[in-house]
Amino acid sequence: MALPDIRTPETTERSMTSADTDVGTPLIQVRDLAVHYSHRRTGGSLVAIEDVNLDVTDGEFVTVLGPSGCGKTTFMNVVAGLVAPSHGQVLVDGKPVTGPGPDRAVVFQDYALLPWRTVIDNVRFGLEMQPHLRGTGWRERVQEAIETVGLAGFEQSYPRELSGGMQQRVGLARAIVAEPRILLMDEPLGAVDALTREVMREEIERLITATGKTVLFITHSIEEAILLGDRIVVFKSHPGAVKEVLTTGIERPRSERSIQSDARFLELRDHLWEALRGEATAAATRSSS
Amino acid sequence: MSIQTQLPALRATGRRRGTAQRGEARWTFLLIAVVLAILAVWEAVVRAGLVPEAFLPPPSKVLTAFLALLVEGEFWQAFAFSMGNVVVGLALAIVVGVVVGLAVGWSPVLRFTVAPFLWLLYSTPKVALAPVIILALGLGSESKIALTFLLAVFPILLNTMEGAVTVSPSLVRAARVFGVRGPALGWKVIFPATLPFSLAGIRRGAALGFTGEVLGEFLGGTGGLGHMLEQAAYQFEMDEALAMVVVMVIIANLTLSLIGLLQRKLAPWHDERTAAAS
Ligand SMILES: Nc1ncnc2c1ncn2[C@@H]1O[C@H](COP(=O)(O)OP(=O)(O)O)[C@@H](O)[C@H]1O
Ligand SMILES: [Mg+2]
Repeated sequence: MALPDIRTPETTERSMTSADTDVGTPLIQVRDLAVHYSHRRTGGSLVAIEDVNLDVTDGEFVTVLGPSGCGKTTFMNVVAGLVAPSHGQVLVDGKPVTGPGPDRAVVFQDYALLPWRTVIDNVRFGLEMQPHLRGTGWRERVQEAIETVGLAGFEQSYPRELSGGMQQRVGLARAIVAEPRILLMDEPLGAVDALTREVMREEIERLITATGKTVLFITHSIEEAILLGDRIVVFKSHPGAVKEVLTTGIERPRSERSIQSDARFLELRDHLWEALRGEATAAATRSSS
Repeated sequence: MSIQTQLPALRATGRRRGTAQRGEARWTFLLIAVVLAILAVWEAVVRAGLVPEAFLPPPSKVLTAFLALLVEGEFWQAFAFSMGNVVVGLALAIVVGVVVGLAVGWSPVLRFTVAPFLWLLYSTPKVALAPVIILALGLGSESKIALTFLLAVFPILLNTMEGAVTVSPSLVRAARVFGVRGPALGWKVIFPATLPFSLAGIRRGAALGFTGEVLGEFLGGTGGLGHMLEQAAYQFEMDEALAMVVVMVIIANLTLSLIGLLQRKLAPWHDERTAAAS
Protein backbone atom coordinates (compact mmCIF):
# COMPACT_ATOMS: atom_id res chain seq x y z
CA MET A 1 0.00 0.00 0.00
CA ALA A 2 1.53 3.27 -1.08
CA LEU A 3 0.91 6.41 0.92
CA PRO A 4 3.15 9.03 -0.60
CA ASP A 5 1.60 11.81 1.47
CA ILE A 6 2.70 10.16 4.67
CA ARG A 7 6.17 9.08 3.76
CA THR A 8 8.80 11.72 4.02
CA PRO A 9 12.05 10.60 2.48
CA GLU A 10 15.12 11.22 4.62
CA THR A 11 16.77 13.38 2.00
CA THR A 12 13.89 15.84 1.74
CA GLU A 13 13.76 16.16 5.50
CA ARG A 14 17.46 16.84 5.79
CA SER A 15 17.69 19.41 3.00
CA MET A 16 14.62 21.17 4.35
CA THR A 17 16.11 21.48 7.79
CA SER A 18 19.46 22.75 6.66
CA ALA A 19 17.78 25.28 4.41
CA ASP A 20 15.55 26.47 7.24
CA THR A 21 18.01 26.77 10.09
CA ASP A 22 21.31 26.97 8.27
CA VAL A 23 22.88 24.76 10.92
CA GLY A 24 24.35 22.30 8.47
CA THR A 25 24.78 19.11 10.46
CA PRO A 26 22.01 17.35 12.37
CA LEU A 27 22.62 16.72 16.08
CA ILE A 28 22.57 12.94 15.71
CA GLN A 29 23.80 11.24 12.54
CA VAL A 30 23.59 7.50 12.18
CA ARG A 31 25.70 6.22 9.31
CA ASP A 32 25.50 2.67 7.85
CA LEU A 33 25.18 1.30 11.35
CA ALA A 34 25.36 -2.44 11.94
CA VAL A 35 25.68 -4.46 15.15
CA HIS A 36 26.50 -8.16 15.19
CA TYR A 37 26.34 -10.10 18.42
CA SER A 38 28.60 -13.10 18.64
CA HIS A 39 27.22 -16.06 20.50
CA ARG A 40 29.92 -17.52 22.70
CA ARG A 41 28.33 -20.94 22.96
CA THR A 42 27.39 -21.58 19.35
CA GLY A 43 30.28 -19.58 17.93
CA GLY A 44 27.87 -18.06 15.41
CA SER A 45 26.87 -14.45 15.16
CA LEU A 46 23.55 -12.66 15.09
CA VAL A 47 22.89 -9.58 13.00
CA ALA A 48 20.91 -7.40 15.41
CA ILE A 49 20.72 -4.33 13.15
CA GLU A 50 22.04 -3.59 9.70
CA ASP A 51 22.32 -0.58 7.38
CA VAL A 52 20.67 1.85 9.74
CA ASN A 53 20.83 5.46 8.58
CA LEU A 54 19.09 8.29 10.37
CA ASP A 55 19.47 11.99 11.01
CA VAL A 56 17.93 13.68 14.01
CA THR A 57 17.92 17.46 14.18
CA ASP A 58 18.34 19.48 17.35
CA GLY A 59 15.13 19.63 19.36
CA GLU A 60 13.40 16.88 17.45
CA PHE A 61 11.32 14.17 19.14
CA VAL A 62 11.81 10.93 17.23
CA THR A 63 9.93 7.78 18.16
CA VAL A 64 11.28 4.39 17.16
CA LEU A 65 8.56 1.82 16.59
CA GLY A 66 8.93 -1.88 15.92
CA PRO A 67 8.08 -5.38 17.11
CA SER A 68 10.09 -6.72 20.01
CA GLY A 69 13.43 -8.26 19.12
CA CYS A 70 13.94 -6.09 16.05
CA GLY A 71 16.97 -4.32 17.49
CA LYS A 72 15.52 -1.10 18.91
CA THR A 73 17.38 -1.41 22.21
CA THR A 74 20.56 -2.32 20.39
CA PHE A 75 20.21 0.76 18.22
CA MET A 76 19.65 3.00 21.21
CA ASN A 77 22.54 1.45 23.10
CA VAL A 78 24.89 2.38 20.29
CA VAL A 79 23.70 5.99 20.42
CA ALA A 80 24.10 5.88 24.23
CA GLY A 81 27.66 4.59 23.80
CA LEU A 82 26.95 1.34 25.63
CA VAL A 83 27.40 -0.90 22.59
CA ALA A 84 30.14 -0.49 20.00
CA PRO A 85 29.04 -0.64 16.36
CA SER A 86 30.28 -3.56 14.27
CA HIS A 87 30.09 -1.36 11.22
CA GLY A 88 29.35 2.31 10.54
CA GLN A 89 29.10 4.93 13.23
CA VAL A 90 26.97 7.37 15.17
CA LEU A 91 27.94 11.03 15.27
CA VAL A 92 26.65 13.38 17.93
CA ASP A 93 27.29 17.02 17.20
CA GLY A 94 29.61 15.86 14.43
CA LYS A 95 31.81 13.75 16.72
CA PRO A 96 31.79 9.95 16.68
CA VAL A 97 30.31 8.30 19.75
CA THR A 98 32.94 6.21 21.56
CA GLY A 99 31.21 5.81 24.91
CA PRO A 100 28.61 7.33 27.21
CA GLY A 101 28.81 11.08 27.73
CA PRO A 102 27.12 13.87 29.66
CA ASP A 103 25.41 15.07 26.47
CA ARG A 104 23.22 11.93 26.48
CA ALA A 105 21.09 10.40 29.24
CA VAL A 106 19.04 7.23 29.19
CA VAL A 107 15.67 6.31 30.69
CA PHE A 108 15.49 2.53 31.02
CA GLN A 109 12.49 0.27 30.63
CA ASP A 110 13.27 -1.47 33.96
CA TYR A 111 13.96 1.90 35.67
CA ALA A 112 17.44 0.69 36.78
CA LEU A 113 17.27 2.63 40.06
CA LEU A 114 19.72 1.90 42.86
CA PRO A 115 17.56 0.16 45.49
CA TRP A 116 19.78 1.29 48.39
CA ARG A 117 19.36 4.96 47.54
CA THR A 118 16.44 7.23 48.34
CA VAL A 119 14.68 9.16 45.56
CA ILE A 120 16.83 12.24 46.13
CA ASP A 121 20.06 10.21 46.03
CA ASN A 122 18.95 8.30 42.96
CA VAL A 123 18.31 11.58 41.15
CA ARG A 124 21.66 12.91 42.35
CA PHE A 125 23.27 9.87 40.69
CA GLY A 126 22.55 11.64 37.38
CA LEU A 127 24.99 14.46 38.15
CA GLU A 128 27.44 13.25 40.75
CA MET A 129 30.09 12.19 38.24
CA GLN A 130 30.10 15.63 36.67
CA PRO A 131 32.62 17.82 38.48
CA HIS A 132 30.99 21.13 37.56
CA LEU A 133 27.54 20.03 38.79
CA ARG A 134 28.17 18.01 41.90
CA GLY A 135 29.53 20.91 43.99
CA THR A 136 27.39 23.49 45.72
CA GLY A 137 23.99 23.92 44.18
CA TRP A 138 23.44 20.25 43.41
CA ARG A 139 20.66 20.14 45.97
CA GLU A 140 18.66 22.83 44.14
CA ARG A 141 19.15 21.11 40.79
CA VAL A 142 18.05 17.75 42.18
CA GLN A 143 15.05 19.29 43.93
CA GLU A 144 14.00 21.05 40.74
CA ALA A 145 14.17 17.81 38.75
CA ILE A 146 12.16 16.01 41.43
CA GLU A 147 9.50 18.70 41.33
CA THR A 148 9.43 18.68 37.54
CA VAL A 149 8.47 15.01 37.46
CA GLY A 150 5.94 15.50 40.26
CA LEU A 151 7.71 13.64 43.04
CA ALA A 152 7.90 16.43 45.61
CA GLY A 153 7.28 14.93 49.04
CA PHE A 154 8.83 11.60 48.11
CA GLU A 155 12.48 12.69 48.35
CA GLN A 156 13.28 10.30 51.20
CA SER A 157 11.37 7.29 49.85
CA TYR A 158 13.12 4.20 48.59
CA PRO A 159 12.30 2.82 45.12
CA ARG A 160 10.66 -0.28 46.61
CA GLU A 161 8.15 2.00 48.35
CA LEU A 162 7.03 3.53 45.03
CA SER A 163 4.70 2.30 42.31
CA GLY A 164 6.14 1.48 38.88
CA GLY A 165 5.00 4.80 37.43
CA MET A 166 6.60 6.74 40.26
CA GLN A 167 9.83 4.76 39.93
CA GLN A 168 9.97 5.73 36.29
CA ARG A 169 9.48 9.38 37.29
CA VAL A 170 12.64 8.97 39.36
CA GLY A 171 14.35 7.51 36.28
CA LEU A 172 13.19 10.51 34.28
CA ALA A 173 14.35 13.00 36.92
CA ARG A 174 17.75 11.31 37.04
CA ALA A 175 18.03 11.62 33.27
CA ILE A 176 17.14 15.32 33.08
CA VAL A 177 18.91 16.54 36.23
CA ALA A 178 22.21 17.21 34.45
CA GLU A 179 20.36 18.78 31.50
CA PRO A 180 21.70 16.60 28.68
CA ARG A 181 20.99 17.69 25.12
CA ILE A 182 19.78 14.24 24.18
CA LEU A 183 17.33 12.00 25.99
CA LEU A 184 17.28 8.33 25.04
CA MET A 185 14.18 6.53 26.27
CA ASP A 186 13.89 2.77 25.88
CA GLU A 187 10.23 1.80 26.24
CA PRO A 188 10.08 3.88 29.42
CA LEU A 189 6.37 3.19 29.92
CA GLY A 190 6.48 -0.45 28.86
CA ALA A 191 6.41 -1.80 32.43
CA VAL A 192 4.01 0.83 33.78
CA ASP A 193 0.32 0.03 34.28
CA ALA A 194 -2.05 1.12 31.51
CA LEU A 195 -3.74 4.02 33.29
CA THR A 196 -0.50 5.56 34.54
CA ARG A 197 1.03 5.05 31.10
CA GLU A 198 -1.59 7.30 29.45
CA VAL A 199 -1.11 10.02 32.06
CA MET A 200 2.66 9.89 31.79
CA ARG A 201 2.65 9.98 27.99
CA GLU A 202 1.01 13.37 28.08
CA GLU A 203 3.31 14.56 30.84
CA ILE A 204 6.37 13.51 28.87
CA GLU A 205 5.00 15.23 25.77
CA ARG A 206 4.53 18.52 27.66
CA LEU A 207 7.78 18.26 29.60
CA ILE A 208 9.99 17.51 26.62
CA THR A 209 8.48 20.01 24.23
CA ALA A 210 8.89 22.70 26.90
CA THR A 211 12.59 21.99 27.37
CA GLY A 212 13.34 21.56 23.68
CA LYS A 213 15.40 18.42 24.17
CA THR A 214 16.28 16.06 21.39
CA VAL A 215 14.67 12.71 22.06
CA LEU A 216 14.92 9.16 20.78
CA PHE A 217 11.92 7.38 22.23
CA ILE A 218 11.55 3.65 21.72
CA THR A 219 8.15 2.06 21.91
CA HIS A 220 6.12 -0.80 20.50
CA SER A 221 2.87 1.11 20.92
CA ILE A 222 1.53 2.71 17.76
CA GLU A 223 -0.55 5.29 19.66
CA GLU A 224 2.45 6.26 21.77
CA ALA A 225 4.67 6.65 18.73
CA ILE A 226 2.18 9.02 17.06
CA LEU A 227 1.23 10.95 20.19
CA LEU A 228 4.83 11.76 21.07
CA GLY A 229 6.80 11.85 17.85
CA ASP A 230 7.64 14.60 15.41
CA ARG A 231 8.80 11.70 13.30
CA ILE A 232 8.31 7.96 13.58
CA VAL A 233 11.07 5.57 12.59
CA VAL A 234 9.58 2.16 11.86
CA PHE A 235 11.93 -0.78 12.38
CA LYS A 236 11.67 -4.16 10.72
CA SER A 237 13.23 -7.33 12.06
CA HIS A 238 15.62 -10.08 10.86
CA PRO A 239 17.83 -8.22 10.55
CA GLY A 240 16.76 -5.06 12.34
CA ALA A 241 16.68 -2.13 9.95
CA VAL A 242 14.75 1.04 9.24
CA LYS A 243 11.64 0.15 7.25
CA GLU A 244 10.32 3.66 6.86
CA VAL A 245 10.32 7.12 8.40
CA LEU A 246 7.07 9.06 8.81
CA THR A 247 6.46 12.67 9.80
CA THR A 248 3.47 13.04 12.10
CA GLY A 249 2.77 16.71 11.56
CA ILE A 250 0.18 16.96 14.33
CA GLU A 251 0.04 20.20 16.29
CA ARG A 252 1.30 20.32 19.88
CA PRO A 253 0.32 20.17 22.64
CA ARG A 254 -1.33 16.85 21.93
CA SER A 255 -3.54 14.97 24.31
CA GLU A 256 -4.61 11.35 24.40
CA ARG A 257 -8.26 12.42 24.01
CA SER A 258 -8.10 15.13 21.36
CA ILE A 259 -5.77 13.14 19.14
CA GLN A 260 -8.23 10.24 18.82
CA SER A 261 -10.42 12.31 16.49
CA ASP A 262 -7.55 13.81 14.51
CA ALA A 263 -7.76 12.65 10.89
CA ARG A 264 -4.00 12.55 10.53
CA PHE A 265 -3.73 10.39 13.68
CA LEU A 266 -6.21 7.88 12.28
CA GLU A 267 -4.48 7.81 8.93
CA LEU A 268 -1.08 7.21 10.54
CA ARG A 269 -2.45 4.60 12.90
CA ASP A 270 -3.98 2.56 10.09
CA HIS A 271 -0.81 2.78 8.06
CA LEU A 272 1.38 1.72 11.00
CA TRP A 273 -1.01 -1.11 11.83
CA GLU A 274 -0.57 -2.50 8.33
CA ALA A 275 3.18 -2.08 8.47
CA LEU A 276 3.57 -3.77 11.84
CA ARG A 277 1.12 -6.54 11.06
CA GLY A 278 3.22 -7.42 8.05
CA GLU A 279 6.28 -7.55 10.30
CA ALA A 280 4.59 -9.66 12.93
CA THR A 281 3.28 -12.12 10.33
CA ALA A 282 6.70 -12.38 8.75
CA ALA A 283 8.28 -13.05 12.13
CA ALA A 284 5.71 -15.72 12.95
CA THR A 285 6.25 -17.48 9.63
CA ARG A 286 9.99 -17.39 10.14
CA SER A 287 9.90 -18.82 13.63
CA SER A 288 7.52 -21.63 12.64
CA SER A 289 9.59 -22.75 9.68
CA MET B 1 6.74 23.39 34.99
CA SER B 2 5.41 20.72 37.23
CA ILE B 3 3.48 17.55 36.78
CA GLN B 4 0.97 16.60 39.40
CA THR B 5 1.54 13.43 41.34
CA GLN B 6 -1.12 10.80 41.13
CA LEU B 7 -1.83 7.66 43.08
CA PRO B 8 0.01 7.52 46.41
CA ALA B 9 2.70 4.90 46.80
CA LEU B 10 1.68 1.53 48.09
CA ARG B 11 3.85 0.61 51.02
CA ALA B 12 3.63 -3.02 50.00
CA THR B 13 7.04 -4.02 51.28
CA GLY B 14 6.33 -2.79 54.76
CA ARG B 15 3.08 -4.68 54.90
CA ARG B 16 4.71 -7.87 53.71
CA ARG B 17 7.42 -7.65 56.34
CA GLY B 18 4.78 -7.13 59.06
CA THR B 19 3.03 -10.34 58.06
CA ALA B 20 6.32 -12.21 57.98
CA GLN B 21 7.15 -11.01 61.47
CA ARG B 22 3.79 -12.12 62.81
CA GLY B 23 4.36 -15.53 61.25
CA GLU B 24 7.82 -15.74 62.79
CA ALA B 25 6.42 -14.82 66.20
CA ARG B 26 4.02 -17.75 65.98
CA TRP B 27 6.89 -20.14 65.24
CA THR B 28 8.97 -18.73 68.07
CA PHE B 29 6.05 -19.36 70.43
CA LEU B 30 5.74 -22.94 69.24
CA LEU B 31 9.48 -23.45 69.61
CA ILE B 32 9.46 -22.21 73.20
CA ALA B 33 6.53 -24.51 74.01
CA VAL B 34 8.35 -27.53 72.55
CA VAL B 35 11.58 -26.73 74.42
CA LEU B 36 9.70 -26.32 77.70
CA ALA B 37 7.93 -29.65 77.14
CA ILE B 38 11.25 -31.41 76.48
CA LEU B 39 12.78 -29.85 79.61
CA ALA B 40 9.79 -30.99 81.69
CA VAL B 41 10.04 -34.57 80.38
CA TRP B 42 13.81 -34.56 80.93
CA GLU B 43 13.42 -33.36 84.53
CA ALA B 44 10.72 -35.96 85.21
CA VAL B 45 12.71 -38.83 83.68
CA VAL B 46 15.82 -38.07 85.76
CA ARG B 47 13.86 -37.50 88.98
CA ALA B 48 12.05 -40.82 88.49
CA GLY B 49 15.47 -42.47 88.40
CA LEU B 50 15.13 -43.81 84.84
CA VAL B 51 18.52 -42.29 83.94
CA PRO B 52 21.44 -42.01 86.35
CA GLU B 53 21.85 -38.38 87.37
CA ALA B 54 25.64 -38.61 87.04
CA PHE B 55 25.27 -39.05 83.26
CA LEU B 56 22.37 -36.72 82.70
CA PRO B 57 21.77 -34.10 85.37
CA PRO B 58 18.23 -32.63 85.34
CA PRO B 59 17.62 -29.15 83.89
CA SER B 60 17.28 -27.67 87.37
CA LYS B 61 20.84 -28.75 88.22
CA VAL B 62 22.12 -27.42 84.91
CA LEU B 63 20.47 -24.10 85.67
CA THR B 64 22.14 -23.96 89.07
CA ALA B 65 25.52 -24.69 87.47
CA PHE B 66 24.86 -22.04 84.84
CA LEU B 67 24.13 -19.38 87.45
CA ALA B 68 27.24 -20.43 89.38
CA LEU B 69 29.32 -19.96 86.23
CA LEU B 70 28.16 -16.37 85.82
CA VAL B 71 29.79 -15.33 89.10
CA GLU B 72 33.00 -17.22 88.48
CA GLY B 73 36.10 -15.22 87.44
CA GLU B 74 37.58 -18.19 85.60
CA PHE B 75 34.50 -18.36 83.38
CA TRP B 76 34.70 -14.73 82.34
CA GLN B 77 38.40 -15.10 81.60
CA ALA B 78 37.63 -18.05 79.34
CA PHE B 79 34.78 -16.07 77.78
CA ALA B 80 37.08 -13.12 77.01
CA PHE B 81 39.72 -15.44 75.55
CA SER B 82 37.28 -17.23 73.23
CA MET B 83 35.38 -14.16 72.11
CA GLY B 84 38.58 -12.19 71.55
CA ASN B 85 39.86 -14.89 69.21
CA VAL B 86 36.52 -15.18 67.41
CA VAL B 87 36.33 -11.41 66.85
CA VAL B 88 39.87 -11.21 65.46
CA GLY B 89 39.46 -14.30 63.27
CA LEU B 90 36.08 -13.20 62.00
CA ALA B 91 37.27 -9.65 61.29
CA LEU B 92 40.13 -11.03 59.19
CA ALA B 93 37.74 -13.39 57.44
CA ILE B 94 35.32 -10.54 56.62
CA VAL B 95 38.03 -8.30 55.17
CA VAL B 96 39.66 -11.06 53.12
CA GLY B 97 36.34 -12.68 52.16
CA VAL B 98 34.69 -9.46 50.95
CA VAL B 99 37.72 -8.06 49.11
CA VAL B 100 38.69 -11.31 47.40
CA GLY B 101 35.03 -12.21 46.80
CA LEU B 102 34.37 -8.88 45.05
CA ALA B 103 37.53 -9.14 42.96
CA VAL B 104 36.94 -12.73 41.86
CA GLY B 105 33.22 -12.20 41.29
CA TRP B 106 33.70 -9.06 39.26
CA SER B 107 36.66 -10.08 37.12
CA PRO B 108 35.83 -12.81 34.60
CA VAL B 109 39.53 -13.72 34.33
CA LEU B 110 39.87 -14.31 38.07
CA ARG B 111 36.53 -16.08 38.11
CA PHE B 112 37.57 -18.67 35.58
CA THR B 113 41.03 -19.22 37.03
CA VAL B 114 40.68 -18.80 40.80
CA ALA B 115 37.06 -19.69 41.58
CA PRO B 116 37.38 -23.46 40.95
CA PHE B 117 40.16 -23.64 43.54
CA LEU B 118 38.08 -21.68 46.03
CA TRP B 119 35.20 -24.14 45.65
CA LEU B 120 37.65 -27.03 46.05
CA LEU B 121 39.05 -25.49 49.27
CA TYR B 122 35.52 -24.78 50.47
CA SER B 123 34.53 -28.43 50.13
CA THR B 124 37.70 -29.63 51.88
CA PRO B 125 36.87 -30.50 55.51
CA LYS B 126 38.99 -27.87 57.23
CA VAL B 127 38.34 -29.50 60.59
CA ALA B 128 40.79 -32.17 59.46
CA LEU B 129 43.46 -29.48 59.29
CA ALA B 130 42.97 -28.53 62.94
CA PRO B 131 45.72 -30.81 64.39
CA VAL B 132 48.18 -29.59 61.78
CA ILE B 133 47.38 -25.97 62.55
CA ILE B 134 47.77 -26.53 66.27
CA LEU B 135 51.11 -28.22 65.66
CA ALA B 136 52.26 -25.36 63.51
CA LEU B 137 50.92 -22.41 65.51
CA GLY B 138 51.01 -23.76 69.05
CA LEU B 139 48.47 -23.94 71.85
CA GLY B 140 47.89 -20.19 72.19
CA SER B 141 45.47 -17.81 70.49
CA GLU B 142 47.15 -17.97 67.08
CA SER B 143 45.99 -21.48 66.23
CA LYS B 144 42.42 -20.66 67.35
CA ILE B 145 42.31 -17.46 65.32
CA ALA B 146 43.62 -19.36 62.31
CA LEU B 147 40.91 -22.02 62.65
CA THR B 148 38.17 -19.41 63.10
CA PHE B 149 39.43 -17.56 60.05
CA LEU B 150 39.71 -20.69 57.93
CA LEU B 151 36.20 -21.85 58.72
CA ALA B 152 34.61 -18.40 58.42
CA VAL B 153 36.31 -17.05 55.31
CA PHE B 154 34.87 -19.40 52.68
CA PRO B 155 31.17 -18.79 53.19
CA ILE B 156 31.86 -15.04 53.24
CA LEU B 157 34.08 -15.15 50.18
CA LEU B 158 31.89 -17.43 48.09
CA ASN B 159 28.68 -15.60 49.01
CA THR B 160 30.25 -12.26 48.12
CA MET B 161 31.49 -13.75 44.84
CA GLU B 162 28.02 -15.02 43.96
CA GLY B 163 26.61 -11.62 44.83
CA ALA B 164 29.11 -9.80 42.63
CA VAL B 165 28.37 -12.15 39.72
CA THR B 166 24.65 -11.50 39.96
CA VAL B 167 24.81 -7.69 40.15
CA SER B 168 22.09 -6.56 37.77
CA PRO B 169 23.62 -5.69 34.37
CA SER B 170 21.00 -2.99 34.00
CA LEU B 171 22.35 -1.19 37.09
CA VAL B 172 25.84 -1.38 35.64
CA ARG B 173 24.56 0.01 32.32
CA ALA B 174 22.82 2.87 34.12
CA ALA B 175 26.00 3.62 36.06
CA ARG B 176 28.01 3.77 32.82
CA VAL B 177 25.47 6.08 31.22
CA PHE B 178 25.87 8.52 34.10
CA GLY B 179 29.66 8.44 33.91
CA VAL B 180 30.43 5.99 36.73
CA ARG B 181 33.58 4.02 35.87
CA GLY B 182 36.51 2.22 37.47
CA PRO B 183 36.79 2.38 41.27
CA ALA B 184 33.63 4.52 41.50
CA LEU B 185 31.68 1.69 39.87
CA GLY B 186 32.95 -0.71 42.53
CA TRP B 187 32.21 1.64 45.36
CA LYS B 188 28.87 3.06 44.20
CA VAL B 189 27.31 0.00 42.58
CA ILE B 190 29.08 -3.35 42.95
CA PHE B 191 29.79 -3.12 46.68
CA PRO B 192 26.33 -2.00 47.84
CA ALA B 193 24.62 -4.42 45.45
CA THR B 194 26.71 -7.26 46.88
CA LEU B 195 26.40 -6.24 50.53
CA PRO B 196 23.30 -8.35 51.32
CA PHE B 197 25.09 -11.44 49.98
CA SER B 198 28.20 -10.66 52.02
CA LEU B 199 26.10 -10.24 55.16
CA ALA B 200 24.40 -13.59 54.61
CA GLY B 201 27.86 -15.12 54.20
CA ILE B 202 29.10 -13.36 57.34
CA ARG B 203 26.18 -14.82 59.26
CA ARG B 204 27.14 -18.34 58.22
CA GLY B 205 30.83 -17.61 58.64
CA ALA B 206 30.32 -16.37 62.20
CA ALA B 207 28.59 -19.60 63.22
CA LEU B 208 31.29 -21.73 61.61
CA GLY B 209 34.07 -19.53 63.00
CA PHE B 210 32.78 -19.96 66.55
CA THR B 211 32.76 -23.73 65.97
CA GLY B 212 36.38 -23.46 64.80
CA GLU B 213 37.34 -21.62 67.97
CA VAL B 214 35.74 -24.18 70.30
CA LEU B 215 37.19 -27.03 68.28
CA GLY B 216 40.67 -25.53 68.54
CA GLU B 217 40.30 -25.22 72.31
CA PHE B 218 39.13 -28.83 72.53
CA LEU B 219 42.00 -30.23 70.55
CA GLY B 220 44.78 -28.40 72.27
CA GLY B 221 44.46 -25.38 74.40
CA THR B 222 45.03 -23.78 77.71
CA GLY B 223 42.09 -21.44 77.84
CA GLY B 224 38.69 -20.56 76.51
CA LEU B 225 35.16 -21.86 76.80
CA GLY B 226 35.91 -25.04 74.85
CA HIS B 227 38.78 -25.81 77.20
CA MET B 228 36.54 -25.26 80.23
CA LEU B 229 33.92 -27.54 78.76
CA GLU B 230 36.52 -30.22 78.13
CA GLN B 231 37.80 -29.91 81.71
CA ALA B 232 34.31 -30.20 83.16
CA ALA B 233 33.53 -33.27 81.07
CA TYR B 234 36.91 -34.79 81.97
CA GLN B 235 36.18 -34.35 85.68
CA PHE B 236 32.73 -35.78 85.13
CA GLU B 237 30.97 -32.57 86.21
CA MET B 238 28.12 -33.09 83.81
CA ASP B 239 26.00 -30.23 85.16
CA GLU B 240 28.80 -27.71 84.52
CA ALA B 241 29.56 -29.25 81.12
CA LEU B 242 25.92 -28.91 80.07
CA ALA B 243 25.83 -25.37 81.44
CA MET B 244 28.81 -24.58 79.18
CA VAL B 245 26.91 -25.97 76.22
CA VAL B 246 24.00 -23.68 77.11
CA VAL B 247 26.43 -20.74 77.22
CA MET B 248 27.67 -21.58 73.73
CA VAL B 249 24.16 -21.91 72.35
CA ILE B 250 23.34 -18.49 73.77
CA ILE B 251 26.49 -16.90 72.32
CA ALA B 252 25.88 -18.41 68.89
CA ASN B 253 22.25 -17.29 68.83
CA LEU B 254 23.02 -13.77 70.03
CA THR B 255 25.68 -13.45 67.32
CA LEU B 256 23.29 -14.64 64.63
CA SER B 257 20.52 -12.28 65.79
CA LEU B 258 22.98 -9.39 65.89
CA ILE B 259 24.05 -10.05 62.31
CA GLY B 260 20.40 -10.51 61.32
CA LEU B 261 19.70 -7.08 62.79
CA LEU B 262 22.66 -5.70 60.84
CA GLN B 263 21.26 -7.23 57.65
CA ARG B 264 17.92 -5.50 58.11
CA LYS B 265 19.62 -2.23 59.05
CA LEU B 266 22.25 -2.13 56.28
CA ALA B 267 20.32 -3.80 53.48
CA PRO B 268 16.62 -3.13 54.06
CA TRP B 269 15.96 -3.28 50.30
CA HIS B 270 16.99 -6.91 50.16
CA ASP B 271 14.31 -9.58 50.04
CA GLU B 272 15.85 -12.66 51.61
CA ARG B 273 13.42 -15.02 49.97
CA THR B 274 14.68 -14.09 46.51
CA ALA B 275 18.34 -14.20 47.48
CA ALA B 276 20.37 -17.21 46.48
CA ALA B 277 22.50 -16.74 49.57
CA SER B 278 22.62 -19.73 51.85
N1 LIG C 1 23.92 -8.70 24.48
C1 LIG C 1 23.39 -9.46 23.50
N2 LIG C 1 24.03 -10.57 23.08
C2 LIG C 1 23.51 -11.32 22.11
N3 LIG C 1 22.36 -11.07 21.47
C3 LIG C 1 21.66 -9.99 21.83
C4 LIG C 1 22.13 -9.12 22.88
N4 LIG C 1 21.24 -8.12 23.03
C5 LIG C 1 20.26 -8.35 22.14
N5 LIG C 1 20.50 -9.46 21.42
C6 LIG C 1 19.66 -9.97 20.31
O1 LIG C 1 19.56 -8.98 19.34
C7 LIG C 1 18.25 -8.89 18.84
C8 LIG C 1 17.70 -7.50 19.05
O2 LIG C 1 17.52 -7.28 20.42
P1 LIG C 1 17.04 -5.89 21.02
O3 LIG C 1 17.94 -4.82 20.52
O4 LIG C 1 16.95 -6.04 22.49
O5 LIG C 1 15.59 -5.73 20.38
P2 LIG C 1 14.33 -4.88 20.86
O6 LIG C 1 14.79 -3.85 21.82
O7 LIG C 1 13.75 -4.31 19.60
O8 LIG C 1 13.36 -5.84 21.49
C9 LIG C 1 17.45 -9.96 19.55
O9 LIG C 1 17.37 -11.09 18.70
C10 LIG C 1 18.24 -10.26 20.77
O10 LIG C 1 18.09 -11.60 21.15
MG1 LIG D 1 14.14 -3.51 23.84
